[in-house]
Amino acid sequence: MKKINVLGLITFFVLVLVNLPFLVIIPSSFTAAGYLAFPPEGFSWQWYEMILDRPEFIDSLWISLKLATVTAILATFLGTLAAFALSKYKFRGSGIINALMLSPLTVPSLIIGISALLFFTRIGIAGTFTGLLLAHMLISIPYVVRLVLTGLSSFDYTLEKAGYMLGAHPFRVFWDITLPLLRPAIVSGMIFSFLTSFDNVTVSLFLVAPDTTTLPLAIFTYMQETLDPLVASISSVVILLSLVFIVLLEKVYGLERLFGLNSQSH
Amino acid sequence: MSKRLSVTLLTAPAMILLLGVFILPMLMMLLLSFQDENQAFSLHNYSLFIQDPYYLEILWRTIRVSLWTVLVSLLLGFPVAMYMAQATGKMRGIVTMLILAPHLISVVIRNFGWVVVLGEKGWINETLISLGLIDQPLRLLYNELGIVIGLTDSFVAYMVLAIATSLYAIDPSLNKAASILGASRVRTFFSVTLPLCLPGIIAGTTLVFSLSMSAFVTPALMGGTSVKVLPVIAYEQIMATLNWPLGAALAFLLLGSTILLVTLYTKLIETKRYKEVFAS
Repeated sequence: MKKINVLGLITFFVLVLVNLPFLVIIPSSFTAAGYLAFPPEGFSWQWYEMILDRPEFIDSLWISLKLATVTAILATFLGTLAAFALSKYKFRGSGIINALMLSPLTVPSLIIGISALLFFTRIGIAGTFTGLLLAHMLISIPYVVRLVLTGLSSFDYTLEKAGYMLGAHPFRVFWDITLPLLRPAIVSGMIFSFLTSFDNVTVSLFLVAPDTTTLPLAIFTYMQETLDPLVASISSVVILLSLVFIVLLEKVYGLERLFGLNSQSH
Repeated sequence: MSKRLSVTLLTAPAMILLLGVFILPMLMMLLLSFQDENQAFSLHNYSLFIQDPYYLEILWRTIRVSLWTVLVSLLLGFPVAMYMAQATGKMRGIVTMLILAPHLISVVIRNFGWVVVLGEKGWINETLISLGLIDQPLRLLYNELGIVIGLTDSFVAYMVLAIATSLYAIDPSLNKAASILGASRVRTFFSVTLPLCLPGIIAGTTLVFSLSMSAFVTPALMGGTSVKVLPVIAYEQIMATLNWPLGAALAFLLLGSTILLVTLYTKLIETKRYKEVFAS
């Protein structure tokens, strides 16, 4: 029993450490003082009201939300289609296509960011929403493909066959049988894409212009100049938003299964 | 619809995106890294790196910081993985949730939390000073220590998960057999558990190492302006100095050295394992 207690103690310590940033940020956002302090001094909403006076944060929040939503929808659509082809058909080159679909995971974000900037500059979409969207779709697609492929690997195709035998149209079979059964995998792919896009910094860093700055980047830039409780209040808003999606992911799919993906988010 | 047409229609949209936004730009970047000022082909950017002690020191710092991150992540992550392997379903779920969920929240925000904790007027320094344990605030940020703390926080979960997965796969009857044969707990750990979870350790350490080598945000925010790593220098060359060829070369040198080190490491471990097999 003693061994378990030692392990338990270390585990508790590590869990506190990885969650420490949030345990510190949220309280300090309510400080009444004019500077960053933990434990916070007094209580006030002033730093949340202050956000309203900073249009760059509000604007970047909208950009991030819009970007993450469109990324999630398009990446899930493209990734799901490809996963269907990879799972349903045996064809020459499927191994290569599969490897290519997952390859953005294995290349450092830095390289993805630089090369995208190079290319987008040449075709004239550097700094635009479209450029950001394409890059975010690129880094989200591997997760969708992996999640949907995993879902399809345990998929019982006899159910589809049964549908056909009962005379259903292929579209009807897809809509009433295939899709509902794969819903957890597809929805998880969508939520994970949303989070990947919403939290991304390293790829976006190279691709944003002042009017397309995303929220994490606005915080990153602000942090390099000033450290005040405003960062804490904005961060708390992001934490809250992300938490909603994390709880959704856990409910739909399970975080442990998700991270078995060998994800690379930095 | 023929099979071929279906496959093409289904994979084309994603493939066009991959080839257009990823493969083609990467090739362009590789070509660019071989360009000198006159846009002629040259190895100038790469030779500059190898000859300049400034860049070599930065490469060595990047490797050093990554190795420390791997070591600390292993020391902290292994016990957590062991605990998860021994825990009951519900407890395991709670630990999994608490260790993984933070990793889905932006790294900028987690780093900011650490700045609040570790800063000169941060929680740790204020506490230590008020307890009378130190007179001067400790320098926990804007140096290599700060980077290692930030990176460990970012990547320890990958270590935990890689090792836990390999621990889950170990047949519990093996431990029982070892103890029936009279092995102590320590002996069982070193002769049974550790060798069997070695693949997990290799996976975890290589993953954490590669991620640490290419991390940009944490070193930029927690390393400060004087302690720079290779990704930060590459970023500056591109966005501030606008020397794109050099920036591209630096990024590829980073990728190349990471791959080289990881390959050497896995080869080394494998040879050692085979030696053990042949000796017994």
